[in-house]
This record gives sequence, C-alpha cells and structure tokens, in this order.
Amino acid sequence: MKINCPLVTRVLTNFIREESQKAGFERNIIGLSGGLDSTVCAYLAVKAVGSPSVFGLILPYKDYDQEGVSLAEEVARILGIEVETIDISPQIDAYFSGHPTDNHVLKGNKMARERMSILYDYSARLKAMILGTSNKTELLIGYGTIHGDMACGINPMGDLYKTQVRELGQYLNVPEKILRRKPTAGLWPDQTDEDEIGLSYEELDRILFKLVDERLTADEVIRAGLEEKKVRRVAELIRKAEYKRKMPPVAKLSERTVGHDFLYPYDWGK
Amino acid sequence: MKVAIAQMSPVLGRVDKNVEIHLEFIEKAVKEKADLIIFPELSLTGYSLKDLVPEVALRPETSSIMARLLKASKDIDLVFGLVEERTENPGLFYNSAAYLTGGEIAHIHRKVFLPTSGMFEEARFFARGHDFMAFPTGSNRAGLLICRDLLHYSSSYCLLAGGAGLIIAISAAPGRGITDEGSQGFESSQNWELMGKAISYFSSAYVIYCNRVGLEDGVTFAGGSFIYTPDGELCLKLPYLEAAFSIQEIDPDLIRKARKNRPYKRDDRPEVIWRSLGRLLREKDED
Repeated sequence: MKINCPLVTRVLTNFIREESQKAGFERNIIGLSGGLDSTVCAYLAVKAVGSPSVFGLILPYKDYDQEGVSLAEEVARILGIEVETIDISPQIDAYFSGHPTDNHVLKGNKMARERMSILYDYSARLKAMILGTSNKTELLIGYGTIHGDMACGINPMGDLYKTQVRELGQYLNVPEKILRRKPTAGLWPDQTDEDEIGLSYEELDRILFKLVDERLTADEVIRAGLEEKKVRRVAELIRKAEYKRKMPPVAKLSERTVGHDFLYPYDWGK
Repeated sequence: MKVAIAQMSPVLGRVDKNVEIHLEFIEKAVKEKADLIIFPELSLTGYSLKDLVPEVALRPETSSIMARLLKASKDIDLVFGLVEERTENPGLFYNSAAYLTGGEIAHIHRKVFLPTSGMFEEARFFARGHDFMAFPTGSNRAGLLICRDLLHYSSSYCLLAGGAGLIIAISAAPGRGITDEGSQGFESSQNWELMGKAISYFSSAYVIYCNRVGLEDGVTFAGGSFIYTPDGELCLKLPYLEAAFSIQEIDPDLIRKARKNRPYKRDDRPEVIWRSLGRLLREKDED
C-alpha cells in the first residue's frame, strides 16, 4: 500500500493545474478544516498553481472544532494563501430552531451542505475551481455527505486511501500536529471518524485494498486472515454507498439518454 | 408440448435469491404440467453486472446452485441465463444460456454477439462465445440464442442448418424509443418481433423469445416475450414492461408440416454457404 510520493505529487499537481485551466478557472478554492485531507490538498494546490492562486475558506460551526480552526489558520499562514473564515452557526441554528432534532448525523449533514453552498458561492465570486478532499477510503465506504463534503469541481485525492494521504502528507512536510491528529468529520464535538466507523483507518484500508485493488472476494480476504465480521461489514458499506459515487440514474426512454448512451469526455474540447 | 415462459426480473447480483425465484417458477410450471420452462438472459444474476461479473460466475460442474437446478430438471426441461466460468479456462466469463434436461446439461450456449456500443458494454466484462449449435432434446432439436444473437440472422441460420425446430432466445433487452404513439411498448421491441417472425417462418421453426422486465440503474427492460410458430404466426405475446408467467401449448408437428409445405430446410445448401464464407474470409482485405 506504500505509494511513490514524488510521482503521486507530480501527477496530482499536474491534474489540479490542467483541469482548472481547462475549465477556465483562475484560482482554486478549498474548504480548510485543519484536518489531514484538506491540508494535504492545500499543499498540493500551492505546489500546482502557487499560493496567490489558492483561496481557503474556514467554515466553523460554533466552537465544535476550535483546534481545527486554529490548525487551518496555521496551514494558511505556512502556505501563504488568502483565507476567510465564515461562521455557519447563524444559518444552521436558524434552520434547526424551526426543525429541531437531536440526531447528530442530520445536523452534521446540514452543516456539510451549508459549507458546500458557501464554497460554490465563492467559487462563482472568485472564479475559483473547488478542490474536493474526499479520499478513496471515504468514497468507498460512503463516509461523507452526498452533495455536502463530497461535492466539488475536481477531486485530486479520491484515489488515495486515508493512510496513503498521511504518507503523502509526511512527504509534503505537513505539520506534525495535523499528521498525528485523530481524523474527525467535525460532525459534533469530540467526534472521531474511527469511533464512528468502528475500525481504525489502518484496518479499514487494509481490507479495502484487498477487496478493491487486489480484487479479492470477501471470502478470500477472510481466508487471508482478516477478521470476518469487519471484512463483511466493509464489503457491505461499499455496496450500500454506490449511490454516493454516481450521478442519480436517469430513467431511460429515448434512443439517446444522458447518463446512459450520450457519451462524451469530461474534457470535451478543453 | 407445453412451454412456460417466466418473464421475470432477477435481483441484481444475488444468485442466492435468484435461484429461489427460479425454483418457485419451476414448481409452478411443473404443477401445470409444462415440459419446458424458459427464463430470460442472465436470469440467475441480473444484467447490469459490470465488476460483479466474476463474483456471480458459476462453474457448472461444481456449482451447488447448478446442482439444485439439475435436480429440478428431472421434472421439467429448463433454460436460464448465467455467468459461466469454465473450469478448463479459468478467468474467462461468459454470458451463457443453459438447457438442462433429465438431470443433465444438454447444452450451454455462450453469447457470441456481445453488444458493446452506446449503452452496452458487454465485451468489457464478458468473453465471447464461438459457436451456434443445435442439439437434441428428446423428440426435438433445439438451439439457444442470447438477446443480440437473435438480431444477427447468421446465428439463426446456423441453427436452421443444424436442424433446430425450436429456436429459444433468452433476452435482457432494454426498452428504447418512445416516439411510436401506436405502440404499447418501446420501439426497440420491434427489432425482436420482426426477427422472430421472419426467422420462424423461413426456418420453419418455433421461435421462443423470453425477455425480462424490471429496472436496473434507470434502464427499463422491455418484456414482450413471444412465441412464433413455424408458419411465422404469433401464438403467444406477453405484456410489455410487466412481469408475467404463461404456459403455451406448442405443437412440434407444425415443424414437420411447415418443412413439408415450404422446403427451405430440405433445400438448404450449407456447403455452398460454407464455400462462399470461406472465400470471403480468405479474400477479405484489411477493412
């Protein structure tokens, strides 16, 4: 599962540069959480297009993740990128005061979509391409909010497992504090991904790598010595999350249907 | 002879569930004294499999699911669709149709024409079959085709040359085209109907077409299964779009009568076709 960090960096910086240019954007914009993924993404973006062309948005809800906010500010300082902080509490609270719930996940999803909404607004204001920060682990198990943190213009990180993002972060000299920090989606105070998923990222990525990259069946992964309950659970998470990885199905009626047999490249004419 | 057609919708990627569905239909058909039951293309697996293809593949000699269906075939002949992996050729997966009778595999046909254009991507996931072969099934000779195979008339010709009186085509044909106001179904269904009528008449053979229904990833399967007699007459037509189960009496003696009246089969000259095709292939230039 080890990666060739210089090569990956070269490919991903090219990707960010080329795809942004082709789409006609002058800058890149990233939602900075102070976590590993958005930090590594910001480092890549600065390498790709230079710090004046990268804009960071810090979008906290109340004081849910103060450490994250200060780390995000530190990242912006180190990289020398312009950054703006917008507190999303007023609009979130306004909504939930009318539609109260104790459900953490509902609240977290709403916050993720509010952040998305602001990122898209700023994307239009600044003519900036939104860089997505969902990694391969999240995409595979569906650990993300559809149309929330999963929404973006392009995604440089989507083929790197979480543990590989960490490896790349080390190579890129991301602050030690961020590398060591327990990953959190910031859905509620003290939330950690690993508690919520019920597996460590190391275990999770090992199982995913065998199922996805090595194309082993769940039975084969179990025979290779990994814990049956965990393997079955991960396989089931992958199956259930397919809807998050695709555009919604279009009901086919005609001879040529968007999403079925109207097939053009993404980079068409660019 | 009584033929049952199960115009059904399998669960995508769940062979375990689909075999139960098959056995239920089989039980129903046996109760109604059918001699043969036909399921659609990839009836054990569903159609839009993509990377699931290797995961749902069966090896007919060793599969416990196949063993259950073989056991059921002691009471009734079965035709169904499966993803087949051959023990002697591992790692290749075929879109196959099996004919089981008397607890034995009478024949397995591997789809030859894999549609791979527009919405279709079968050749990305399946290996191509290489043969069309008529085979004996008790008092009749039958031939199997899978979906697009029927739309290439050369396929049916091989079955005519092989003496098939029953041409059984199983299908997972999606519906496309909605501008024909007079039709109850999709325009694309007409492709199979046109071919079914023509092939049955000129082969003096029954054409039994079993298409599936249901939806997968936004695609609606068109249904509209049918049987044409050896005289090119429609003798059964199932509804478009909705699941249906029907048993139709067919008369194998009509094959004899049709061949007596219109001796296309007697006058067929496969050796001429063979020679012409041989020359074509030898002289074929690069385009």
